Amino acid sequence: MASLVGAYAASHGPLLVREWEALPQDQKQRLQGAFEQLGQRIAAARPDVLIVVSPDHWSNFFLDNVPAVCIGVGETNDGPPEPWMKGFPHQEIPGHPALALHIVAEAMKQGFEPSVSHRLKLDHGVCIPLWRMGLERLPRIVPMLLNSIEPPLPSLSRCVAWGRQLASAVRSFPSEQRVAILATGGLSHSIGEPTMGAIYEDFDRETIRLFSSSERDLVSYLEENLPTHGNGSEEVRNWLVAHGAAGGRGFELVDYLPVPKVIVGCGFAAWRFAA
Amino acid sequence: MTDYWLSKMFFDLQNPAAAAEYRADREKVLARYLLSDEARRRVCDNDVAFLSKRTNPYLLRYFFFAAGMKDEEFIRKLRNG
Repeated sequence: MASLVGAYAASHGPLLVREWEALPQDQKQRLQGAFEQLGQRIAAARPDVLIVVSPDHWSNFFLDNVPAVCIGVGETNDGPPEPWMKGFPHQEIPGHPALALHIVAEAMKQGFEPSVSHRLKLDHGVCIPLWRMGLERLPRIVPMLLNSIEPPLPSLSRCVAWGRQLASAVRSFPSEQRVAILATGGLSHSIGEPTMGAIYEDFDRETIRLFSSSERDLVSYLEENLPTHGNGSEEVRNWLVAHGAAGGRGFELVDYLPVPKVIVGCGFAAWRFAA
Repeated sequence: MTDYWLSKMFFDLQNPAAAAEYRADREKVLARYLLSDEARRRVCDNDVAFLSKRTNPYLLRYFFFAAGMKDEEFIRKLRNG
């Protein structure tokens, strides 16, 4: 059977690429250090497959059809379409159809109804963390695109439940695969709305604190506060998926740094798994 | 209220070639979409605040980025109309 060997989270703001060279040196070093630490942890966990949970930033889906959740089940997915991501070293990224289809089938059995795609464009949400982590060997990627961009958004409790479902599906996959989860996005930021540029540090720090508290308190706090703390903050849903997959335990903050130049409260985390 | 065709144009202009065409010949690109006269005029006026009520905020930002507007000006227009 497959095993779940780790869960991680990292921010993915576009300005982490577009403004990288203009960042104050101390902030750049700290961000690079956080990305690299996650990269080292992932490398040490030796995953064969990485399930990357990210929103789709209008790269694959439009108003004609906006899935709440889409699982990439293809042999191959495309690298990022954004022109400013042209330095990303992979134009095509291998998927893992057997595991992805198993995840979809198990989800359907349990009352979850993801959509599927046999070929996705993996935009900056997926690729910035993979790039900045500097992974020497890129595992196969199973993308899970979770809508946090265009309402209606999946409920926060549903995201935690999705994490549990993912973990269960991985552990019932009949192949000796090592699987990890990488949630990307957040923490607070605001895009294309009058508060654009705002970083809500108090919100971020309380959210981080609550990841080590009860799941009920965490979800309750986010339900109350997400609507007033920047639309980009909705991406914390992806972190909730990772949290659910880890059984709601073992959260460890790697680093948190509000970075005005990239207009994101940049967060990095891992979940400790029992040996 | 979401304006489908306005959003569709913003979505399409994420493509660098389409964005370059828009910058070179805006009228030609605008003519492909079923925009109301008012929406068309507000696009030409870079009326960020008006357009923000009719499309997704991410698409709005992508459009003005593709159109060449700096973030500072975009944010100022968002806040002050």
